[in-house]
Amino acid sequence: MTRTLCTLLVTITLGIAGQGWAAEKIRVVTTIPDLADMTRQVGGELVDVSSICTGVEDIHGVPMRPSFAALLNKADILVLMGFDGEHAFLPGLLEAASNSKVLPGAPGYVDCSLYVRPLQIPTRIDRALGDIHPQGNHHFNLDPGEGKDMVRAIADGLSHNFPEHEVVFRKNAAAYLAKLDAAIERWDQEAAPLRGKKVVSYHSGMFYLADRYGMQSFGTIEPYPGVDPTPAHTAELIERMQQAKVDFVVREVGYPVELAKTIADRTGAKLVEIPLMVHGVPEATDYISFIDYNMRTLVTAAHGP
Amino acid sequence: MALRHSPRSVAASVLATFLVATPCAVRAETVPPEELRRELDAMKEQLQRVQKQIKEQAEQIKRQEDVIQKLTTQKAPTAPGAPALAPAPPPAPAVADEERLKRQVTEQIMHQIQPQLAAANRIFPSQFNPAIGLIIDNVASYGEHERGNFQFRAAELGISASVDPFARGYAVITGSPDGFDVEEAAIVTTSLPYNLTVKGGRFFADFGRLSQVHDHDLPFVNRPLALDNFVQGEAQADGVEVGYLVPWRQYVHLTAGAYNKIGAGNDRVDNATSRDFSKFTYLGRAATFFGLNDSNSVDLGGSWAYTPEVAIDNGAHRTLAGADLTYRYTPLSQAAYRGIVWGSELIYNQEDRPVGGFSTTTSATSSVTLRPGLDDGLNFIKPALAISDPTKPLIFKRRDAVGLYSYLEARLSRRFTTGFLFDYAEDIDHVTGATESYSPYLTVWLSEFQRLRLQYTRLQQPGNHENQFFLQWTVVIGSHVHGFRDR
Repeated sequence: MTRTLCTLLVTITLGIAGQGWAAEKIRVVTTIPDLADMTRQVGGELVDVSSICTGVEDIHGVPMRPSFAALLNKADILVLMGFDGEHAFLPGLLEAASNSKVLPGAPGYVDCSLYVRPLQIPTRIDRALGDIHPQGNHHFNLDPGEGKDMVRAIADGLSHNFPEHEVVFRKNAAAYLAKLDAAIERWDQEAAPLRGKKVVSYHSGMFYLADRYGMQSFGTIEPYPGVDPTPAHTAELIERMQQAKVDFVVREVGYPVELAKTIADRTGAKLVEIPLMVHGVPEATDYISFIDYNMRTLVTAAHGP
Repeated sequence: MALRHSPRSVAASVLATFLVATPCAVRAETVPPEELRRELDAMKEQLQRVQKQIKEQAEQIKRQEDVIQKLTTQKAPTAPGAPALAPAPPPAPAVADEERLKRQVTEQIMHQIQPQLAAANRIFPSQFNPAIGLIIDNVASYGEHERGNFQFRAAELGISASVDPFARGYAVITGSPDGFDVEEAAIVTTSLPYNLTVKGGRFFADFGRLSQVHDHDLPFVNRPLALDNFVQGEAQADGVEVGYLVPWRQYVHLTAGAYNKIGAGNDRVDNATSRDFSKFTYLGRAATFFGLNDSNSVDLGGSWAYTPEVAIDNGAHRTLAGADLTYRYTPLSQAAYRGIVWGSELIYNQEDRPVGGFSTTTSATSSVTLRPGLDDGLNFIKPALAISDPTKPLIFKRRDAVGLYSYLEARLSRRFTTGFLFDYAEDIDHVTGATESYSPYLTVWLSEFQRLRLQYTRLQQPGNHENQFFLQWTVVIGSHVHGFRDR
């Protein structure tokens, strides 16, 4: 009986301990699936990538699951968006992960905002402006041009940590960037009908996308970043939207549908729903299909009745 | 060129005239004419310098425009014999010129913006100051027996920063009506091998779940009686703790610690007095987590604190043990808007206690000792004191007591959460019976940094049944980090 119990215990222990990473690969944890896809493109067969977010979350409210701390504990590299985008969960998880390789400042802490041209840098650092991000808006992954910058940062990060594989990383990155360039050329043409369209989004997730394709960010349903809409702000927004004839109300996946729909109905704007991350909708299976989906959705709305 | 210069020159002249005229008008009565003339001359010189600079810049821009024009209109020379329509590669000199021009323009721009860049990158010694945040916690309360009170409960100053590549430090300094108190001031290692973390100083010991949470961060207004009577407030401890994250995919965390004592309000032991090893409190804890699926999860933990010898318990040992379970339903796509938390803790205490309880003249603790400075004014929630006759010698008996709380909280939207807390605590001294309370509550998050909470508590303790009402208003200003224990 005792022997059976011991055997069972050892088996369970080995089973739990043995779960997880494939042998000999570089273990990368990314915060969002976009970064996971890009890291797989750059790292190829050399990396084993896991993402903390599945893609449907609001990045400001990702649950801090202890299992993520266990995941980060074994990571060689952490790839994150930066600009404090992951402030809700990453500092706490790193505190629990006991892995100095991926702490801020360590080589394994790869910040993808490195080459990004930030938008919406607040001119005043004050909570009276809501949950602002002093370094700028962090939803830059919606702009494929910034996507290229993210790929560059990942290639740099992987190469810096594993210089013996730099040639492979650079080659893979160049191939993926060429693929992205081709897609960007196509998106630039497809996006022609979006130029000049006025957009109101629920959260401030649309700014980079709007900026790239010449849309005008007219405002947000949230009165301030991270602050729930108030009746007074909503009434004022509706009035301004009616006067300005706003074209789209964009609801980012993860934000409430009802109010966005009401505002769209009251102002005659079209309600468009877009994900903020890869896997935010089933069609967005990787970064290119994610941008494809957003572009198709917006262009269809621009052409629609 | 003239057109380009004209508006600037006019503006500069107007400005100069204004600058020259204004001080003269104001100061004409008091300043001697010689001084005014000197000032006028100085301003004229300054204006001439500005005009000269503008002229030079305009000439430079013109030169660059000429080069660009030349490059864009330049045609590639056709090779003799080549077909007239064949596309010819751009000539190497033109490319070189273009590159040189780009470099010149870049260098010039960089040269011009360098002072601004240098200013932006300026380093101040204060940049190494730690992150600082302040939490202000106020409670208005009303009880049938204790009547009403506006209570400034605490202002907590949180300070944190990296010490060096090997450690970080943090402190929580609390000001309350009772004065200032260092709630926590600890050093935590960040780069020890083998998944080890060592914490030293004053901190909240890794006992249970809500014992490690500051009062203002609790899901409800007051700390449950089960924790307040057994752990005695927050699990504050002066000592050292070693944490070990088991290197498995399954999250398992083990803790071992040694402290003077555990509990901010625990006065069995004086922090300022040295003691034998047998009089320290030793702790062991194991915690794990099960993700049932993307939305459902369970946290489990077990804690055991052992003090071999407690002087005021007649030198007998004390055991404080706890088990905690937290179930969470968090729909990933709606985490900020929907969710359920069910949290429960069971606490068991065993120690020698005097029959009839301690006398009020004894400096020893009672099961109802208040935490210094934190919940005065809310003390009517506590059960009545049991007091022995101080003239008689104390007779000690081994006492077991159990306490538990369980709460269910639902997130209705990003702004509203509501919940219900059940709380049960036996009297450690076995003098009075158990105390129970039932507390429905509603929390309104005006933003991530401001919270209102309304709570009703039905308190049922031996000889006292009471209805109590609380309104809590809590804000945080400054730096605010979501720590792992706040999850």
